Amino acid sequence: MSRPVLDIEQLVKRYRDVVALDGVSLQIGAGEIFALLGPNGAGKTTLIGAVCGLVKKTSGRIHLFGIDLDVDALGPRFQVGLVPQEVNFDPFFTVTESLRIQLGYYGRPPDEARIAEVLEALDLSAKANAQTRTLSGGMKRRLLIAKALVHAPKLVFLDEPTAGVDVELRRDLWAYVRKLRSQGTTVVLTTHYLEEAEELADRVGIINEGRLLLVEDKRALMRRMGTKRLVVAFQSPVPRLPEAYAGGGVLSEDGKGWVYTERPGHPGVGEVLRGLYAAGLPVQEVETRASKLEDVLIEVLHGGGGSQR
Amino acid sequence: MNWLGLRTLLSKEVRRFLRVPGQTVLSPLISTSLYFVVFGVSLGGRMEQATGHPYLPFIVPGLIFLGMANNAFLNSSSSLFIMKIQGTVVDLLVAPLGAGEILLGFVGGAMVRGLLVGLLTWAVALLFTPLQLVHPLATLGFLLGTAYVFSVLGLVAAVWAEKFEQINFFPTFVMLPLTFLGGVFYSIRQLPEPWHTVSLFNPMVYMVEGLRYGMLGSTVFPPVLGGTLLATMALVATLVTYALLARGYKLKQ
Repeated sequence: MSRPVLDIEQLVKRYRDVVALDGVSLQIGAGEIFALLGPNGAGKTTLIGAVCGLVKKTSGRIHLFGIDLDVDALGPRFQVGLVPQEVNFDPFFTVTESLRIQLGYYGRPPDEARIAEVLEALDLSAKANAQTRTLSGGMKRRLLIAKALVHAPKLVFLDEPTAGVDVELRRDLWAYVRKLRSQGTTVVLTTHYLEEAEELADRVGIINEGRLLLVEDKRALMRRMGTKRLVVAFQSPVPRLPEAYAGGGVLSEDGKGWVYTERPGHPGVGEVLRGLYAAGLPVQEVETRASKLEDVLIEVLHGGGGSQR
Repeated sequence: MNWLGLRTLLSKEVRRFLRVPGQTVLSPLISTSLYFVVFGVSLGGRMEQATGHPYLPFIVPGLIFLGMANNAFLNSSSSLFIMKIQGTVVDLLVAPLGAGEILLGFVGGAMVRGLLVGLLTWAVALLFTPLQLVHPLATLGFLLGTAYVFSVLGLVAAVWAEKFEQINFFPTFVMLPLTFLGGVFYSIRQLPEPWHTVSLFNPMVYMVEGLRYGMLGSTVFPPVLGGTLLATMALVATLVTYALLARGYKLKQ
């Protein structure tokens, strides 16, 4: 990784007796999409808040774009955008006015072309002059995203950006996040929709009880910890299976169903399937299922496969 | 210094209160006009007999002070407090705006509202009594100083308050008694002891008398006393508020 956009060293945040972040160290490179995953209360939002100036850290160091936030807390924030978890809106202003205000906060003069571009990207053009209080819940969420992006930040934090929004917006947002990455923007994403992380992320980090359990390239992680399952239904009961595969699966009591799990060192799903046909077994239906990020997350949270960096 | 950020916040604050002029400008103006009618026109004759001075011109500086102080305080306190409640304060805290920009942005917006209400109150007063402006510079200094101090105090209240009950505490239990007992409607010379001595501990008395000096040319205290008090309050309030904002007191987790 070239010089990281975000470099966190031994970050600790304590609230009286509760340790929200327990020595978190993390580096995020330019132009990547990083998904931070973990259960509720794991420390995801606290970590983002510490970087964005919403949470006062107890100890540790944060460098944004190579600048130590203890030395200059404000300078690097001109290049940062945040979509907070909670929807908020200022009822006194229209959608366009809200975006102009946001541009101004970030030291940029009103830029109607940029505002129109962001509104278009988030399908809000028709509501450009609407009062924010008249927007639907999903549109308020779109406005929140527009506000985080209108000043064209180099690093964007999306904290549960698609919570409670419809499938259409979710898909639109995914497309827009990919576009941002293609333009060199770094995206840090927290989400409860693991499908979202699976779809978008280059790397994932798994955090629980304030500790970062794992940071790894998503594809490498899925190769390392992912499994494939073969579910076979037989036309008639099968008394037993070929010796080579029998240990890797479980035969149902009636002998008409068999579930085989592919594991390292065991035959692959394709080879097993060919073997079943070769043995003349009465295969009626076959289904394969690859494990998802969700399965990997659950395994890591339960103590398996952690500490890769 | 993020000058454009500061200008944006200030302009947003002004536009915010101008979006609801009935509540933020017209309503205080009507209240103050009623004070003129009730205290100035109806009871003014009797008060003149008691003081030996024309009463209507006497209450004009106090009523300007009352409208200005209340509205400056209410603007900064309600604006930041509502942002805290609605969650939009996140926009400010994440943006590259330091404590100085946030302080000046809110205070600037609140001063504009306070001064606007004060000047409109003065304009209403002109319907009842001729213009008096003996010391224009002193008047300007006391107007600006009062608007500034109460704008900053409003910001402190908003930072501190976490519930609606708390944000109403200052205007109801601190400002209202102090302004009404601050010589707006009477001269503290008229007060018997021990109330005369007690009134000397009320900082509002010196501000009202300072404005009275600027507009009418007569006052109970030397104007430098009110000026010094205002400058000291402005300095202390600014330092305290800056420190609270820089620490993120009750704003950041």
